[in-house]
Amino acid sequence: MRVLIVEDDADLSRQLKSAFKDAGYAVDIANDGEEGHFLGDTEPYDAVILDLGLPLIDGVSVLQKWRADGKTFPVLILTARDQWSEKVAGFDAGADDYLTKPFHVEELMARLRALLRRAAGHTTDTIELGDLMVDNRAARAFVDGMAIKLTSHEFRLLSYMAAHKGRVISRTELVEHIYDQDFDRDSNTIEVFVGRLRKKIGTERIETVRGLGYRLLDPESENTD
Amino acid sequence: MPGVKRSPPSLVSSLVRAAALWAVPGLILVTLALGLVSRNSSYRSFDEPLESTVLGLIASVETREDGTLRLSRELPDPRYQRALSGKYWVIGTVENGDEIAPILSSRSLYGASLPVSKPTISALAEQGQDPVRFAAAGPDIDANESLRAVARQVVLPNMTTPVVVLAAADRAPVIRSIRNFILTAIVLLLVLTLGLIFAVYAQVRLGLRPLFDLGRRIADVREGRAASVEGDYPPEISPLATELNSLISHNKSIVDRAQTHVGNLAHALKTPIAVLRNEAEAADTTPSHIVAKQTDTMAAQVDHHLRRARAAARGQAIGVRADMDPVIDGLVRTLPRIYRDKDLTIDRTGETALIFRGNPRDLEDMIGNLMDNAAKWTASRIDVHVEKMEDGFCRVRIADDGPGLTADEIETALKRGARLDEATPGSGLGLSIVKDLADAYKGSLSFSRSKAGGLQADLLLPIAVEA
Repeated sequence: MRVLIVEDDADLSRQLKSAFKDAGYAVDIANDGEEGHFLGDTEPYDAVILDLGLPLIDGVSVLQKWRADGKTFPVLILTARDQWSEKVAGFDAGADDYLTKPFHVEELMARLRALLRRAAGHTTDTIELGDLMVDNRAARAFVDGMAIKLTSHEFRLLSYMAAHKGRVISRTELVEHIYDQDFDRDSNTIEVFVGRLRKKIGTERIETVRGLGYRLLDPESENTD
Repeated sequence: MPGVKRSPPSLVSSLVRAAALWAVPGLILVTLALGLVSRNSSYRSFDEPLESTVLGLIASVETREDGTLRLSRELPDPRYQRALSGKYWVIGTVENGDEIAPILSSRSLYGASLPVSKPTISALAEQGQDPVRFAAAGPDIDANESLRAVARQVVLPNMTTPVVVLAAADRAPVIRSIRNFILTAIVLLLVLTLGLIFAVYAQVRLGLRPLFDLGRRIADVREGRAASVEGDYPPEISPLATELNSLISHNKSIVDRAQTHVGNLAHALKTPIAVLRNEAEAADTTPSHIVAKQTDTMAAQVDHHLRRARAAARGQAIGVRADMDPVIDGLVRTLPRIYRDKDLTIDRTGETALIFRGNPRDLEDMIGNLMDNAAKWTASRIDVHVEKMEDGFCRVRIADDGPGLTADEIETALKRGARLDEATPGSGLGLSIVKDLADAYKGSLSFSRSKAGGLQADLLLPIAVEA
């Protein structure tokens, strides 16, 4: 999953980036409203964490522009502004959640997971595909109850495919949602990650659809048969 | 110029201008009226001797047997004998319709005739025996003589055609006297006008002196020379001084309270800072759980004191008002999105378009926290009902269908600084601060059991009543 954090406080954005990376997310940072708006407008993020008091363009305007342009990714507003009218303005602009500073990173994570879950139509943090279980909360995966060792890129790949289980996902889409901006993107590396992941969770679970991409099979779904 | 706000004119100049506005035209009218009256009376007393002369001439003229006329006795005024003396008489007949051919005339005319205008001739014919008064040019052309004349047309005994008997006198003296009178009147009234305007100016300055004095006293307070507005003021101004003093003391109490809160906050932060400093001195790396615990304490203290300071400072805001609908409607719209796992229904009923008499942020804090609390505890439904009360208050009733509170829990909830639900995340300030705010606005907050078995909060708030 790829997340954009729009926050002008360098220390806070560094802390958040590190925490989110540890939790298995690809993270991009924007330090002002203009850069934030541009990134959100051009990159396919799975969720955005947005500060309100930003340089150049304020957060509410950025959000309004995104929504006016048809961007539907979930947005969590993270701000020191705690007035009810500010919350109302944030939600009216199209926010999906609102968290005020100071905050605990765990709470932010939990709320972000809830947003991603809701966006993908799931009800819990864990996604089960037969005996394969992906725990987004702990950033871990289990096969038959046994934990498997995954690198952060492998987990991101698995988590994204699990969130969109049963659907064919192109290499480009995977690249866009698994790597952050700083990463040297080469779609060939996706094949390497898929190969490694197949070895760890079982080759038959990931189907290659020639010319289209990959599909994580859901044994409980009839569609994947 | 559009967009430029002009400052209102000074009170003194407005009052003086208003006085001048009625005094100057009034005095001009008086001058004109006086001039008219003086002119009429001057001419009346000027005409009287002329009319007597005409009557005297009629009485003393005799018709001889040959049809000629003569005077049985000369008029006593010697000026009728002296050439171009300014006093003249003529007895003659109208010829060619616009000229009097003299039969007899005073020696002073020196053989000259007096020109008479056509309208005068016709007026003579119309008036019959009555005298006609008119102006005419005199015989002394060098002196540009202007005469005033009185004439009658009479038919003398033994005559068949009427004759005109006319007496005239130089009217220069009367014109001079009228002009002198008017000039004197103008000078006197001008002096009177200036005097009046000055008197009004002096009176206004005198009347406004307490206000100027008040201004100086307020400046003293602002610049720290005095603590309050002092001095004896007339009853019209004394309420203003009293109100200013209460405003000053209100201001002072806000500053005092804010200082107290800053002090409290500073003291509250000292302990966690001390703990952190000691830890830092004791070891190179401070255990993260200690940092986390102390920063949590600091954050909680900052939060608590900030909110209490806000509540204390803003409670009795003066002259501010807030529209209630946007606040309630915004919350009705937003809370279901915040608590989206709940399938929340908020039903808003009752009055709309009410104006809260206080700070918009306080209104948001009070209603926001009550509704947030209801949303936190409700199963799925919240009822918000706004009702206008009689004495300038309104009641906002927020009822939920959650577990509700017992009497003891209500008491605890309203205790200062208490929070019943440390475990449940929420953005609320705690109900006790809502109560503090409501009390500060002379309103109230009370709880009871709702119809659905949950909590019902009744918030009484002052509203602006349209005059």
